[in-house]
Amino acid sequence: MKTIKEINQKIKKGEAVIVRADEMPEIYEDNPKKAASEVDIVTTGTFGAMCSSGAFLNFGHADPPIKITKLWLNDVEAYSGIAAVDAYIGATQLRKYRDSDYGGAHVIEDLVCGKEIEVRAEAYGTDCYPKKKVETTVTLEDLNQAIMYNPRNIHQRYNAATNSSDTLMRTYMGTLLPNKRNICFAGVGELNPLANDPGYDVIGVGTRIFLGGAKGFIVGEGTQHSPDSGAGNLSTRGDLKDMDPKYVRGCNIPGYGTSLYLGIGVPIPILNEEIARKTAVKNEDVKTEIIDYGISRLVRPVIGEVNYEQLFSGRVDVEGKKIRTSPLSSLKITYQLLKELKELIEEREFYLTGKVESIPRKGQAKSMKLKKGTKTVNQVMSREVITAKADATIKEISALLINNHIDQIPIVDEVNKLQGIITSRDITTALARNITKMADVMTREVITSDLNEALDIVSRRMDKHKVDATPVVDKNNKVVGIVTIADIMRKEGSE
Amino acid sequence: MSKYLIEYSSDVVESPILSKVVVETGVLINVLRADIEYDKASIVVDIPHDEDRVIERFKESGVRVRKLEENIKKDIENCIDCGACISLCPTGAIYFTEDWSIEVDKGECIRCGACVLACPMKAMTIQEH
Ligand code: SF4
Ligand code: SF4
Repeated sequence: MKTIKEINQKIKKGEAVIVRADEMPEIYEDNPKKAASEVDIVTTGTFGAMCSSGAFLNFGHADPPIKITKLWLNDVEAYSGIAAVDAYIGATQLRKYRDSDYGGAHVIEDLVCGKEIEVRAEAYGTDCYPKKKVETTVTLEDLNQAIMYNPRNIHQRYNAATNSSDTLMRTYMGTLLPNKRNICFAGVGELNPLANDPGYDVIGVGTRIFLGGAKGFIVGEGTQHSPDSGAGNLSTRGDLKDMDPKYVRGCNIPGYGTSLYLGIGVPIPILNEEIARKTAVKNEDVKTEIIDYGISRLVRPVIGEVNYEQLFSGRVDVEGKKIRTSPLSSLKITYQLLKELKELIEEREFYLTGKVESIPRKGQAKSMKLKKGTKTVNQVMSREVITAKADATIKEISALLINNHIDQIPIVDEVNKLQGIITSRDITTALARNITKMADVMTREVITSDLNEALDIVSRRMDKHKVDATPVVDKNNKVVGIVTIADIMRKEGSE
Repeated sequence: MSKYLIEYSSDVVESPILSKVVVETGVLINVLRADIEYDKASIVVDIPHDEDRVIERFKESGVRVRKLEENIKKDIENCIDCGACISLCPTGAIYFTEDWSIEVDKGECIRCGACVLACPMKAMTIQEH
């Protein structure tokens, strides 16, 4: 048995024994008692994309004073509904609503790098705060405080993702090839802080950590903390002014948006044999589920279980096939920061703290309460679909389009099975190129939807494939309806 | 085994040059990638042996042949060695080294661009020839 005070005394004398989380299993297996008494600190950590990150900034008062109501930093909106000149910049806020690869995470990185940030602020003006507009530039040094405060950072468990659908998906879990051709996974396995202290024995409120290359703290459990299902997480705080740009990197996950790659190190004091045993966790003991992101619902199907030994090997066996894997967190930078943390402790720059309060070991996050049920395709689609056969002439199809005021016609066979689709644009193409057979201009790979699919998913699919309508098919690929963007908008507008 | 980029100009785009070269040389050329437009085309091929002879025949047929060496560049400043690109590369050209750094085998790259589109740090760029 040791106390944190004793460990800190050893640090002071330069005698503390510090080992990395991946070195601990061997030391422990060799002699558990000796491992517990001789090792003082096990370093754990991670460097990964942490979307739920951001920073509170204080700009100081202007003369005359302003109570900011709207604020943009390098054109990225920051929340300013907290007093007069405070704001919170969040990592995933984009410069424009979509199609931007610069966001809050980059503003944070630019601040840490010492770069100048453009500030644009608006206010309505009051007797005490008359100023209505500010346009200026600031650097990190100009700010009174710049405090990183992350609602949800270190997770107990991370996911692995694959995609069973037949189109490529760009997700927060990276780019997922169609037909389960790759697996992307987050997390660093045996190095992950909460894999080494799953019961929150030593990690708690007030634990000093290495955040973004500076000293920081665990401030409590994170939002959505769900220890009941093994999905707990932690909230962190640190001073941006002391951070190192190496460990604070804005990124843009293609098709998803911006996020912040952040380095976090958590030193675990080895107070007893039980704690030593837990830090002896190996990659093969850290398990996760492979989840099928091809199904766009809240509860996505689980395809199988894997451990980090398998994930880091580069290939995982799923349903008899070897699938290639991609990590999303960086092991290289994680090792780098663990080395730096160890050096800081050795140089007596970093002492450990005990927790002042425990992280809740029970609880489960709920899903969002929706007032209305999810709308599905069969509630909006037209059941009377105008269709045609593949041998129809241009003239016949054109007449159908015009007389029915529609822009597309599904092409079906004798038993109503979908064969293709023709749009008014295809007709124009046919005329321009002197094509007379409709079969030569129709699109054969039709974007379809199912009767019971949620409208949000169908409208996302139409958006992605740039189509204005999709035939609704049953399980035999027979056309049972058609749903257009106008149908969906009408439904949404009526609520 | 080396990879080559073969470019067809509009004059030759409609002739079956690849088939002719295969028949005449007897070398089984593997097509790794093809970009075909109505007035020009380019393919990336693997020539398993007798490279000189095959290239000579290609050149005589009026196409441009270039050895692919520096296909892709990884910016070491931007790359964070996450590995998000690894599983996307169709030829397995991207790999981890001993210390978990990312390396690209430039000769294995067929310029498909998958890693460029997937990288969260914009660290990969296809090199112009
Ligand atoms: S995805 Fe980009 S940042 Fe990550 S290893 Fe590949 S090149 Fe580097
Ligand atoms: S462009 Fe990237 S993904 Fe494509 S072959 Fe080259 S290295 Fe591989």
